[in-house]
Amino acid sequence: MFYREAGQFKTSYKADQAIFPILQDRVGLGLIIVLALLVPLFGSDFLINSFMIPFLIFALASIGLNILTGYCGQLSLGTGAFMGVGAYSCYKLATIFPEVNILVHILLSGFFAAGIGCIFGLPSLRIKGLYLAITTLAAQFFLEWCFIRIPWLYNYNDSGAIEVPTRTLLGTPITGPSSTPSVRYYVILALIIFLAWIASNLIRGRIGRSWMMIRDMDIAAELMGIKPLNAKLSAFAVSSYFCGVAGALMVFMWLGAAEVESFSINVSFQVLFMVIIGGMGSLIGCFLGAAFIFGLPIFVRALPDQIGVAINASTVDHISRMVIGALIIFFLIVEPHGFARLWQIVKEKLRNWPFPYG
Amino acid sequence: MNSSSVNAQSGGDAKVAPGEELLSVANVTLRFGGVTAIQDISFDILKGEVRAIIGPNGAGKTSMLNVINGFYHPQEGTIRFRGETRTKMKPYEAAASGIARTFQNVALFTGMSTLDNIMSGRSLKMHQNFLTQMFYYGPARDEEIAHRRRVEEIIDFLEIPHIRRQPVGKLPYGLQKRVELGRALALEPDLLLLDEPMAGMNLEEKEDMSRFIIDVNQQFGTTIALIEHDMGVVMDLADRVVVLDYGKKIADGEPGEVQADQGVIDAYLGVPH
Ligand SMILES: Nc1ncnc2c1ncn2[C@@H]1O[C@H](COP(=O)(O)OP(=O)(O)OP(=O)(O)O)[C@@H](O)[C@H]1O
Ligand SMILES: [Mg+2]
Repeated sequence: MFYREAGQFKTSYKADQAIFPILQDRVGLGLIIVLALLVPLFGSDFLINSFMIPFLIFALASIGLNILTGYCGQLSLGTGAFMGVGAYSCYKLATIFPEVNILVHILLSGFFAAGIGCIFGLPSLRIKGLYLAITTLAAQFFLEWCFIRIPWLYNYNDSGAIEVPTRTLLGTPITGPSSTPSVRYYVILALIIFLAWIASNLIRGRIGRSWMMIRDMDIAAELMGIKPLNAKLSAFAVSSYFCGVAGALMVFMWLGAAEVESFSINVSFQVLFMVIIGGMGSLIGCFLGAAFIFGLPIFVRALPDQIGVAINASTVDHISRMVIGALIIFFLIVEPHGFARLWQIVKEKLRNWPFPYG
Repeated sequence: MNSSSVNAQSGGDAKVAPGEELLSVANVTLRFGGVTAIQDISFDILKGEVRAIIGPNGAGKTSMLNVINGFYHPQEGTIRFRGETRTKMKPYEAAASGIARTFQNVALFTGMSTLDNIMSGRSLKMHQNFLTQMFYYGPARDEEIAHRRRVEEIIDFLEIPHIRRQPVGKLPYGLQKRVELGRALALEPDLLLLDEPMAGMNLEEKEDMSRFIIDVNQQFGTTIALIEHDMGVVMDLADRVVVLDYGKKIADGEPGEVQADQGVIDAYLGVPH
C-alpha cells in the first residue's frame, strides 16, 4: 500500500518513459545516493578500501558484462582481459601524455577496450552460446599473453608490473600512494553514477532494444530490420568500454599496481558470478551482485567475532565460496533474473500489502 | 492510425497504385537437399488485396513466405516487389523495403514487454545516433516519445492496453499472436505476411483476429498475404486464393472458384496422385 503507482497518473509519455516512473523509486534512489555520499563521514578507511571502492568498480564491470550477456545474450569469459586492456591503455596514455588529467585517460582507455572487444566479437556473427564463450576464452588467454610478452605495455619494468603514478585533480591527489581512500571513493562514485546513467539511457532506447531483440529471437530481430552485425558489435563495443574503464579504475584507484594476474580468468568468472547472482538483464542487479560478492566474505569474517567463535581466514574463504557456489546454482536453475527479480517480487508484495491479492 | 510526422512510408521509391501488382513470384523452385519444398510456383499479389495461401500440411506455404522475406533463397525463379526484381535479399533488407510478417509459431521477444515488442517494430524508423541516445537528450527523447505514441495507437487498435507492461512470454497464446500482429503493424508495411494468425485460437479469438485483419486491410490499405487452414476464415477474408500441394500450385482464383475446384478437393481429402 505504501509503494504503488496508484494516484500517480502519467499525463505524458515523457513522464512514463522516465527511468524511474514511480515517485517512491526516485526518492529511494535519491536516498541511496545521499547515503553513498555520507559513507566516508561515518565509515572507516578499511570499509571504503576493502568494500565500497571495489564494490563500485566491479559493479561497473558487471554492467559491462551484463550489457553483453544479460541484454544481448552473448556469453563472454573475457571480461578480465578486457579490463586489462583498459588498465594497460590507461597506463600507456598516462605515460605518453602525463600533462593530461588522469580522469580523461581513464575514460579514454575504455575506447581501446571497445576496439579490442569488437575484434573478438566478430566470431559472434557466426557462432553462438557455448562456442562463443570458448572464443572469448581464447581472447582472454591471448590478451594475457600480450600483457606478459609485450614489455612496452608495462614500460619495460623489470617486475613486469604497472605502477600507478600520483596524479591530481584540482590539486588533490586522486591516484597513487598519497591519495586518500575518501577522495578516490568520491571520484569513483561520481564516475559510476555518470556511466550507469549512460548505460540506462542506452538500454531503454532503440540500441538497447536491438540488443534484447537479438538475445530473445535473432530471426525475428532481422525481420524488424535489425542488422545482427550492428547489434552484436555495438554490444561488444559498449560492454568492453565499461569493462575497460572498470579495469583502469581498478588499477589506478584501487590496487595502485597490477600485473597480469590482476586480469586473469578468475576475474572474468568473478564478474560473471556477480551478473548471475545480481540478475541477468538488470542494471540494479549489477550493484546487488557486486555488493554481495564483496560483502559476503566481510560478513562471514565479522559474524563469528560477534557471536564469539574463533574462525580462521581460510575457513572464511571456503564458506564464502560455498555460499556463492550454491547461490549460483540456485539462481541458474530457479531464478535467472537473480536478486533483482527477488527485489521486484518484494516490491510487488509491498504494492498490494496488506491485501493478499492485488 | 492516421499519419503523423513519424509515419513516413517505409523503404521503396516506386509507389504502387491499388489493384496493380505489388509482388510477383515467377517460376520459383526451392529445394532442401533432396526435398523440393516449392516447385516452379508463380503467382502475384495485387496492391490492397488479401491474398490467401492455402494447402495441406507440408505443402510449402511457410517456405513460400520464407522465400518472400528473404530467409530462404530459391534455387530458381525470380521475385519482383514493387516492380523491382530482387536478387538475394537479406531479411532485414526485406523489412526495410516494406515487408513484415508474423510466424506460424509465435516468435516474439519473450523477455520484453508488450510495449517493447511493438516498439521494436519501429526500429527501422528511428534514426537518432548513438551520442544523442547515450544522453537520452532532446532529439533522442522526442523520437522515442513520438514512436511511443504510434505504438500506443496500435495497442489501442488491438485492444491490448491491459497487457502493455507485461513480459510477453507469460501471456496466453491468443494474446501473443495479437502482440505479434501489433509488432508487424508497427513497421507500417506495404505487404504483411501472416502465417496462420489464428492457429490454436478459440472461436471468439478468431473473430477478433479476423476483424483486425479486415481493419488493417481496409483502413490502412495494407496488402496482406494470409496462410490459413480454416476455410471459413479464408472464404470470408480473402480476395483471391492460391492453393499449394506438395510444393506445387494446384489452383489460383477467387475463393468460390477455388473451393469448387476438383483438384483442391482431392488434395484436401487426400486422393492419391
Ligand atoms: N529448413 C528446412 N529444411 C529442410 N526441409 C524443410 C525446411 N523447411 C521446410 N522444409 C520442408 O519443406 C516442406 C514444406 O514445408 P512448409 O513448412 O513450407 O509447409 P507448410 O505448408 O507451411 O505446412 P504447415 O501447414 O504444416 O505449416 C516440408 O516437407 C518440410 O519438411
Ligand atoms: Mg507452415
